[in-house]
Amino acid sequence: MSVAILIDVTKCVGCEECVLACKEENDLGPDRLRPGQQAVDGLSATRYSTILRYPDDHFVRQQCRHCLEPACVSACLVGAMRKTPEGPVVYDSDLCMGCRYCLVACPYGIPRYEWDEAAPLVRKCTLCSHRIEEGRVPACVEACPEDALLFGDRAALLSEARRRIAENPGSYLDHVYGEKEVGGTSVLYLSDISLGFLGWAENLGEGGLPHLTHAALKKVPGIVLGMGSLMGGIYWVINRRMKLAARSAEGGQGHE
Amino acid sequence: MSNRLRALKTVLWGLVGVLVSVSVVRFVHGLGAVTNLSDAAPWGLWIGFDVMSGVALAAGGFVLAGIVYIFGLERYRPFVRAAILTALLGYAAVAVGLIYDLGLPWRIWHPMVNWQYHSVLFEVAACVMLYLTVLTLEFLPVVLEHRFFQGAFFRKVLKALKKVTIPLVIAGIVLSTLHQSSLGSLFLITPFRLHPLWYSPIIYVLFFISAVGLGLMTVVLESLFSNYFLDHKLHGREISGLGLAASVVLWVYVALRVGDLLVRGVLPSALDGSWQSGLFVAELAFSAVIPAVLMLLKPIRQSIAGVGVAASMVVLGMIWHRLDVSIVAFARPEGMGYLPSWEEFAVSFGIVAGGILVFLFFVENLNVFDDVRGHPPEEDPGFQAEATVSFLPGPLGFPRRYSVAALSGGILALPFLPVGGVQPTPSPVQGPRSVAAYVSPASNGETRGLALVGSGDLLPIRVLMLDANRDGDVVLFDHDDHAARLGGEQSCETCHHLTKPLDKNTSCFECHTDMYEPRSVFDHDVHAAQLGGSEGCVQCHGEGSEVKSYETVTECSECHRNEISTRAFINPPEARWGNAVGYMDAMHSLCVECHTREALTAPAHNPENLNQCMTCHDVDWREDVRRLMPHLAGMERVTAGPRPAAAQLGAGG
Repeated sequence: MSVAILIDVTKCVGCEECVLACKEENDLGPDRLRPGQQAVDGLSATRYSTILRYPDDHFVRQQCRHCLEPACVSACLVGAMRKTPEGPVVYDSDLCMGCRYCLVACPYGIPRYEWDEAAPLVRKCTLCSHRIEEGRVPACVEACPEDALLFGDRAALLSEARRRIAENPGSYLDHVYGEKEVGGTSVLYLSDISLGFLGWAENLGEGGLPHLTHAALKKVPGIVLGMGSLMGGIYWVINRRMKLAARSAEGGQGHE
Repeated sequence: MSNRLRALKTVLWGLVGVLVSVSVVRFVHGLGAVTNLSDAAPWGLWIGFDVMSGVALAAGGFVLAGIVYIFGLERYRPFVRAAILTALLGYAAVAVGLIYDLGLPWRIWHPMVNWQYHSVLFEVAACVMLYLTVLTLEFLPVVLEHRFFQGAFFRKVLKALKKVTIPLVIAGIVLSTLHQSSLGSLFLITPFRLHPLWYSPIIYVLFFISAVGLGLMTVVLESLFSNYFLDHKLHGREISGLGLAASVVLWVYVALRVGDLLVRGVLPSALDGSWQSGLFVAELAFSAVIPAVLMLLKPIRQSIAGVGVAASMVVLGMIWHRLDVSIVAFARPEGMGYLPSWEEFAVSFGIVAGGILVFLFFVENLNVFDDVRGHPPEEDPGFQAEATVSFLPGPLGFPRRYSVAALSGGILALPFLPVGGVQPTPSPVQGPRSVAAYVSPASNGETRGLALVGSGDLLPIRVLMLDANRDGDVVLFDHDDHAARLGGEQSCETCHHLTKPLDKNTSCFECHTDMYEPRSVFDHDVHAAQLGGSEGCVQCHGEGSEVKSYETVTECSECHRNEISTRAFINPPEARWGNAVGYMDAMHSLCVECHTREALTAPAHNPENLNQCMTCHDVDWREDVRRLMPHLAGMERVTAGPRPAAAQLGAGG
């Protein structure tokens, strides 16, 4: 089973109880930004989730999507980012070396860095994987007073989303954000406004990002063999011709 | 030694001195103290210049090694050793640059034990490590030729190394091919962030081809420099030969770059007049088209000035390209630009300066430019007069000038550095914002309640959501109502009058001394009187010179530690003990606990049943309990997912 969160944007009243619950659950303390530093989307190393405000009382929660094919996981060169079988994308601070390629790779621009620390770590939502292991629901879901957040099996939530759209076709766009985007995500959105602003591009496409890298990486063995034997072959041919030329010139100096 | 060289070394040592000063601050206080990097710009100059451009500039090593050893073009042999040394130092500079850039540089070995084949950066890391090894082995014979290594053991090693020259060269070419291209592949996963004029599915091919052209031109530029500074012999015919070869490679690069745009249908956007299109055209012309044209013209190719200009354009232009890909054309949210800080430049330049000094040291002590093979270095007049690294005064007193340069560089940098680190300021992640809320008349008719959730026929009004004390808790604030109650427009000054340093407006608690607001329970006047009036200020505002504000005050728990109950009915989280607990926390864990205990001994003076929720929460209690519910873990209100275990009260927050 793969778990997910379904966010119904039309139900959110913007009270930020989920944000506060998240901060308390993860013991994040007060927000601190260094002078001149701005928080993109309100997210920061001390705030894993936030509520973005859009006109006409639309409140959109921004948080890690826990992609099914996570770009951050494929980018990490030490395996510090990991997609667990249960669904959350989690971070192992003992492995991280601080290259920040995950910040670069994420199509939603989610991971944050502790820029002020001498030994900084990457910080992002964990889908409360420690609570999921204990059989509890994520803190934000528990905190929501309006049931705008639902937690459960991803397939079940998808059918719930479809059911809501079918029952109230007028109140929702006919699209479950996160169903197919970048290969599907474990955080799904139902909305009556377009949520294209949540990613780096209005339309992130349906394919996962790791395959873009794979297209280049799969050529590595071929390049090693091809380039190696090409260079070896050229050397052999040229060296042999030079030796022959030297021998026929009689007394020409040998070549090392 | 020429005056030019002495001046150059003085400047380089000065830059190294600055680097040392910046390094201390960088490693003591972290990346945030010295860089302008941010979550919007996680990679900056150190990746764009030191790593991306450093590796590209090192391409001369494998290109020249291939030309001489594999293709047997012996007349280019005089360039090989210098090119390999440049590559070695270039890669060493990349490794040093990474130590500055990595957040946890002492874990730089992690990729070696934790292989992740799916990561391009793993390929990059593996190539850097392997190629650095190969380059060391390729250059080691030059070191072992020195008269210091005359022993039989070193002779044997030298002999063995010379035997594996060809395999080493081939390994170097393979690793370089992978590495140069993989630096481009790094950006394959960012199709939405990198501008389409730079993003390409074949970006790794472009990186590789451009590196070959750049490598050739780096070698050219390097021999021109060593002629200028070291009075080294110029090989005019070979230099123009390298220029011509570079021209061919650059044409291939231009054709691929433009052809790729054409195939992807992005070519029109290269001429649409946007700043990116201008940048693209200028970069491509400067880095490739113009130098490639110049190098096709025989008179220019055969003049030192002509080759020098073209080679400089390619070197600067390709650095420009790498910076474009990794910084300039990398999309960021509006108003989140990135300009490197001076410290970032200082580190980049300092590393380059150090690299050049090591290069000069090797050139002066080893037979790097082997014009005549077997030509012993001590017969080389000119560069032996003075050491590069000596800090002791020589017979002419000159070497000491370098230590003075380094020291003064380091000391000059200090006043500009945040030596004490940068203190992050608590700041609202979101400022006050307008939301819709519902007004509900409270039972006593006097005060009104505001709620985000309304029912029935109530109409919402616009109110402000404020996080005045920046702890993440927000309150709803009806500005119009406040204005009306205080006397309309004439009343602005009541709250918005700047009466104290750093005050932007009067805090809520100045009027609402009893409301649910984290500081309300604190009565400043009582404390001042207790502590002896103005004499007692420093009891809490310890540092007399600082602004006496909420941010700088001593924590309440410093004095009132014993009064915080550890076994309260509902415990406030420790983080909130800081500067005055809130009314709710005070009631729950201070008042309730003590008065309940005292009620047993003196019931007449203490309220009954204070430890029962309904005693206080009887006014509109349904709403109160509903607000509390999220904090009471385990209540049955979760609609999906696994049911939580048995309800447990008392684990507030």
